[in-house]
Amino acid sequence: MDRVVLLVRMAIRNLLASPINLLIGGLILFGTLVFVILGGLLDSLNQSMQRSVVGSLAGHIQIYSSASKDELTLYGQMGSDPDLKAITDFPRIEEALSKVENVKMVVPMGVSGALITSGNIVDTTLEKLRDLYKARDGKPSPPKLAALPRDELDRRIVSETSHMRQIIKVLRGDAEKAMTDMLNGTAVDPYNLEALRRVEHDEFWADFEKDPYANLEFLENRIAPIVTDTSMVFLRYVGTDLDKFEQSFDRMRVIKGTPVPRGHRGFLIADLIHEEQMKLKTARRLDKIKDARANGRLIATDDELKRFVKENRLQTRELVLQLDGIKTQALTKSLQDALGSKETAIGPLLSELMTTTDENFDQRYQQFYGLVVPQVQLYRVNVGDMLTIKAFTKSGYIQNVNVKVYGTFAFTGLEKSPLAGSTSLMDLMSFRDLYGYLTADKAEELKEIQKQTGAKTISRENAEDELFGEGAEVVAEATAGVIDPDTAMSGAGRKLREEDLVRRVYTEHEFNDGVVLNAALMLNDPTRLDETLARISKLSDEQNLGIKAISWQKASGLLGQIINVFRALLFVAVAIIFFIAMVIINNAMMMATIQRTQVIGTMRAIGAQRGLILSMVLVESMVLGLLFGGLGMLAGSGVLGAIAAKGIAAPNDVMYFFFSGPRLIPHVTGAPLIIALVIILFVTVFSTLLPAVMATRISPLRAMQADE
Amino acid sequence: MSAIVTIQDVVKEYNLGATVVQALRGVSLTVDKGEFISIAGPSGSGKTTLLNLIGCVDTATRGRVEVAGKNTAELSERELTDLRLNTIGFIFQSFNLVSVLTVFQNVEFPLLLQNKLNAKERKARVEALLEQVGLLTHQKHRPNELSGGQRQRVAIARALVTDPLIVLADEPTANLDSETGQAILDLMKSLNQQKGTTFIFSTHDHRVMRYANAVVRLADGKVLGRESPEDAVAHAMGLETPKHAEVRTP
Ligand SMILES: Nc1ncnc2c1ncn2[C@@H]1O[C@H](COP(=O)(O)OP(=O)(O)OP(=O)(O)O)[C@@H](O)[C@H]1O
Ligand SMILES: [Mg+2]
Repeated sequence: MDRVVLLVRMAIRNLLASPINLLIGGLILFGTLVFVILGGLLDSLNQSMQRSVVGSLAGHIQIYSSASKDELTLYGQMGSDPDLKAITDFPRIEEALSKVENVKMVVPMGVSGALITSGNIVDTTLEKLRDLYKARDGKPSPPKLAALPRDELDRRIVSETSHMRQIIKVLRGDAEKAMTDMLNGTAVDPYNLEALRRVEHDEFWADFEKDPYANLEFLENRIAPIVTDTSMVFLRYVGTDLDKFEQSFDRMRVIKGTPVPRGHRGFLIADLIHEEQMKLKTARRLDKIKDARANGRLIATDDELKRFVKENRLQTRELVLQLDGIKTQALTKSLQDALGSKETAIGPLLSELMTTTDENFDQRYQQFYGLVVPQVQLYRVNVGDMLTIKAFTKSGYIQNVNVKVYGTFAFTGLEKSPLAGSTSLMDLMSFRDLYGYLTADKAEELKEIQKQTGAKTISRENAEDELFGEGAEVVAEATAGVIDPDTAMSGAGRKLREEDLVRRVYTEHEFNDGVVLNAALMLNDPTRLDETLARISKLSDEQNLGIKAISWQKASGLLGQIINVFRALLFVAVAIIFFIAMVIINNAMMMATIQRTQVIGTMRAIGAQRGLILSMVLVESMVLGLLFGGLGMLAGSGVLGAIAAKGIAAPNDVMYFFFSGPRLIPHVTGAPLIIALVIILFVTVFSTLLPAVMATRISPLRAMQADE
Repeated sequence: MSAIVTIQDVVKEYNLGATVVQALRGVSLTVDKGEFISIAGPSGSGKTTLLNLIGCVDTATRGRVEVAGKNTAELSERELTDLRLNTIGFIFQSFNLVSVLTVFQNVEFPLLLQNKLNAKERKARVEALLEQVGLLTHQKHRPNELSGGQRQRVAIARALVTDPLIVLADEPTANLDSETGQAILDLMKSLNQQKGTTFIFSTHDHRVMRYANAVVRLADGKVLGRESPEDAVAHAMGLETPKHAEVRTP
C-alpha cells in the first residue's frame, strides 16, 4: 500500500516535470469531455427516442410471424410497408406470451395505409340538392329532410342552387386562368369548357326546375369530373385492439371527440394528420402564423409567414367553394361590418380579411374563427363522420370499409411530431376487413352467405325488411372483405348495414380470434428486454408458435439505427483523439524511460524488482490518464448538467420524436463515464506497455555509469 | 574474522562486437566482515567491474563469487535483486538519488522495497540515519536543493538504512572536493566502526586510500597485491616499490 502511494507520488511529480504531459493530458481531457458530453446526449436521445417509439406504437417488443418475407418495420422502410405473413392463431400465441415472465400486455396489431376520399364539393352539393328535390316531391329521402315544411325546402333549394352557381363561377375562373396560363401546359379541355359555359348561363338555371333530376344528372356527369381536387388523404393506420392499446400506451390521449367505445368498431385520426391534412388550409396557415408569432416571429420579417399571408390572401377559393347562397349573403354582410368595407363580392372580402399584418393579426384571427368558420366546414373529416377507406387487399382488389370517426388522438409530448403523429388507429375488425385476410373455412362460409344475401339485397325497397327481418343478422355477420358493399348494397340498405356495424359490440375473444400481423408487448421491467426477447424466442421454438420477437429498436427500422450511427461516429471521433494520445503517450514514455535510465538502474541496483519498475511506468501514465480523464469527466458532466438545466429545444417538429417532447433534458448517466474510464485505462496502459517493458530491461549496471 | 566476500579466479569478459575485452583476468580476493577496504588502481584497471561482481549487479564469466555465503552464479535474477536489497548497500560516484523524491523518501525507498517495517518504524529508522549523517533538518528537501556532499550523505544514509552487511562505494568522493570527500570518508569510517558494516570502496585517489584498513591494488584486471594504506599510497604516488608487499591470499 505504501509502495503504491510512493509510486503515485513519484508519478505525479514526474508528470509535473515534463510539459509534454500537459499536451497528453489535454488530449485525454478533450477526448473524455467530448465522449462524456456527446455520449451523454446520445444516451439521453436514445432514451427519449425509446420513450417515443415504445410509447407511441412499438411497445418494448414486437412479434410477428417468422414466416414473413420481410422484417417488421413499423415506420416503413423506403416508403413501403413490409410484407408480413399474417398470424392466424393469435389466441394461442397471446396465451403463451402472456405467461412469459415480465410480459405485461400483448396488444395485437396490423399496420397498413390507405387512401381515404371525402367526396368533392360538387358531389356533396349535388347530393344535397337531389335530396332536397326528392323531399319536396315526396320521394324517399332522408327522414330529417322529409320532415321539413315546403317553404323551408324551397329556401334551401335556392340556397344550394346559388351555391352551385358560385362553384361554377369559381370553376369558370379556374378555366379562364388556365387558358391564359396555356404556356404552363395546363390545357383546358374544350369539352369541359363548353359544359361550363352552358351551366353558367342564366337560361340553364331558369329552366332548371323543369326537370331538376335530369339537370342534376348533367351537372353530375359533366361538371363534377372537372373538379380535380377530390380530397384524397393517405392515412397510415394501425389496426388494433383499441382498449388494450389505450391501456398500454398511456401517453395516448384523445384530443377531439371520444375514445372508441369498448368493443366497437371505430377510427381515431391522428390529430396531427387531422390538423395538417384535413383542416382548411387557410385555417391551418392562420394557426401556424399564430404559433410562430407566439414564439416571437414576425410577419414583417419572416419569409415563411409572409408566404403564408400571401397564400391566404390569394387562395380564398377553398372557402368560396363551400359557401352556398344563404351563407354567402350572411358572411358578406358580417365581413363588410367587421372590416368596414364596401366591397360586395365575397372573394375580395375574404382576401381583405386575410391581408394580415403583425398589428391586425390577432383581430383577424378572431374574425376568421368567429365569422367565417361557422359558415364552412373547418375539417374535411369531422368527429362522427363515416370514413370510407379504400385499400388494396392482399389479393389485390380494392376494398372499401366504412368506419366511424370517434375522435382524434395524440401522444403527450409528441403532439407535433410527424413521426408519432402520422399513424391513426382503427379497430381490428375493420382492419381485417380491409386487409382482406380470411381463413379458408370462413371464406367458404361467407361465399354461401353472399349467394343468399346477394339476391335479397338487389331491390333497395325491401332491403330494410331484409335487414331487420331474418336476413339482418346474416348481413351483419358478413365481413365486408367478401361482400363488396357497393354492389351488395347501396342506398338505405348500405346505410343500415353501416349503422349496424357501428353499433355492434365485439367481445375480446372476437377481437383476438382473427388475423393479426404483429403484436406489441409491454414489459414490466424494460431493462430486462434482451432477456425477455431470448425467452420468447425459446418459447416460440419449444411450442412451435412460429413467431419472431424483436426489440422496439429493431422494429423502428432505420429510425432505430440512427442513434447507433451517431454513436458509431462518436466512437470513431473519440478513437481518433485517443489514438493520437496513444501515439504521443508511447513516444513520451519512451523518451522518459530513456532519460531515466540511470534512476531506474539505481533502483534496480538497490533492490527494486522488475515488477516494481513496470508498475512505476504504468502507474505514471494511468495517473496521467485518470487525472486528466477525471477532469474531463467532471467538466463533461458539468456541461451536461448545465445543458440539462435548460434542456435543448427541439429545432423542428421532426425532432419532437427524438426528444420525446419539445425539449431534450439530458441527464448525466453512468454508462458513458464508465466506458470513458475503461477507454482511458486501456489507452494509457496499452500505450505505455512497450516503454514499461523496456524499462524493466534496464540493467542495474546502468546505475554505475556516470551521467553522459 | 569470517569472510563475507570470497572471490576466486574470477574472469570477466565483455564482448565488444568481434573482440573480447577482459576486464578481470583471474582475480582472487577475500574480504572479511567489518573491513574498511579500498580497491585502488588506475583507470580501466577493473575496479568498477570488480565492485559490480561483489554487488551482484553483474556475474562473472568464469570463477567463483561468494557474497554473504551465497554463490552468485547459482542465484536467479530475482534472488540476486533480493540479495542486493537485503545484504548490500550502494554508494555511487554521482550519488544517484531519485530527484523527484525528498531526502526522507530517498532514504526510505529501500525500506519500502523490503516491505518489512510499518510507517512508524520506517520513520524512526530513516530519521535515525539522517541524524547520523547530519541531515535531519533537511529531510523535506529535494536532492537538487542540496550540495554534493549533502547528497552523498543522503546516499550513505540510503545505503545503510537497511542495515546491510556490505556497503559498496565506487569512487564515492570523485565528484566532491577534497575537503568534502574527507568528511564523507570520515562519516563512512565512523559508521564502519560503530556498526561493524563492511565497506568496500574503490578509488584512485591516494588521499582516499589512507582511510582504508587495507588496499587491494588492481592493474590490468589483475590483483597486484593487498597492502597497507601507506604502501599503497606510496605506490600510487610512484615513490617507491614496496619491499615487503604483504600479500594475503585466501
Ligand atoms: N560494459 C562494458 N563493455 C565493454 N567493456 C567494458 C565494459 N565495462 C568496462 N569495460 C572495460 O573493462 C575494463 C575495466 O573497466 P572498469 O570500468 O572496471 O575500469 P575502472 O578501473 O573502473 O576504470 P575507471 O577508473 O576509469 O572507472 C576497461 O578496459 C573497460 O573498457
Ligand atoms: Mg570505474
